[in-house]
Amino acid sequence: MKIKLRLFRYNPETDTKPHYKTYEVEADKKEKVLDLLHRVKWEQDGTLAFRRSCAHGICGSCAMTVNGENMLTCEALIGNLKKQHTITIDPLPSLPVIKDLIVNMDTFYQKYTVIKPYLINNNPPPPTERLQSMQEQRLIDESTWCIMCGACSTSCPSNWSNPDFLGPAALLKAYRFIFDSRDDGAGERLNILDHSDGVWRCRTIFNCVEACPKEIDVTFHLSQLKKAIVTREI
Amino acid sequence: MYEKSPTNEWISNVVRYRKFSGSWAWLLHRITGLGLTVYVLVHINTLASLQEGPEAFNAKMQVFMQPHWLFAAWILFGLVIYHTLNGIRIVIIDFGRGAKYHKQLLYGAIAVGLVVFLWMGYIIFFGHSDHDFLSYAVSFFS
Ligand code: SF4
Ligand code: FES
Repeated sequence: MKIKLRLFRYNPETDTKPHYKTYEVEADKKEKVLDLLHRVKWEQDGTLAFRRSCAHGICGSCAMTVNGENMLTCEALIGNLKKQHTITIDPLPSLPVIKDLIVNMDTFYQKYTVIKPYLINNNPPPPTERLQSMQEQRLIDESTWCIMCGACSTSCPSNWSNPDFLGPAALLKAYRFIFDSRDDGAGERLNILDHSDGVWRCRTIFNCVEACPKEIDVTFHLSQLKKAIVTREI
Repeated sequence: MYEKSPTNEWISNVVRYRKFSGSWAWLLHRITGLGLTVYVLVHINTLASLQEGPEAFNAKMQVFMQPHWLFAAWILFGLVIYHTLNGIRIVIIDFGRGAKYHKQLLYGAIAVGLVVFLWMGYIIFFGHSDHDFLSYAVSFFS
């Protein structure tokens, strides 16, 4: 089938404002949106810039807004899109655009550092390893699936209106350590999250859950953090 | 690097980004919340007329008994019932395990809200003080 690909274009060296450019490509329903971007870049217009690495939904670098919805382009089957004859692709919302579909993710990563994304445990490690039971692992398993693609945080209306909000991705990482049985930093992390730009700015809109390519129930994890904050002993 | 002003970007994102059931629930919650805020102002304004004596208050109440104001009251009830039921849904999401079935909660809230809303419409437009819906239903089935 013939597909019109409407792409967000912005060249910082020549453009003052971004614009859309439409390309026509031949494609099969079983192909992925990333294949179309490749076809444009390789066969029609080498100046097109976008990020991708693994092309198998693992590295998290190819998240973009396809037809108004964040997703990994390397996982998005054309046949699964609602609108297939014209596909519009934008860079992830609310982040500064470096070029075309490439956004600057600095603030996204900075928010991770705020929640201390590393093991906090001052006890000397046992001779073998810090053991964890199956149940303890299950508690944090889903939150470890995250590939840090940014689809969730940039789909969040709370994040759009307040760029200082930590956002679902960083909060999910906080959950991953707070509920880790080997970690002792829960108290200090909960203090950081108990803030108007912390977990309370989650308004349970569920855009993050819809956007997450790893099908993580992000909002559920944030609700567990909210409960942990209000039920902890101070 | 290209950066929009945060306010512009926020509004255009809300308009352009695809809306799922959760986004609609949130938007409606905000809109009904604003509606209720406006209502509180009208309400206080009406109560303020009590300071001018019972006649002034009764005159105002007479205005509110006109059909189009009754209709407005019905819509107001709709805002209240949605805001209440969705508020309960949010509490269940935040402090229960509601995130796991937030869509079902929303559809349930809408179904219950719709029934109560129509019932209230019946009471407002057809109900008399001695002939409310319940006694009507009871007499209908007996
Ligand atoms: S939670 Fe999901 S959407 Fe968010 S960064 Fe991780 S993988 Fe991406
Ligand atoms: S290219 Fe690696 S996740 Fe899409």
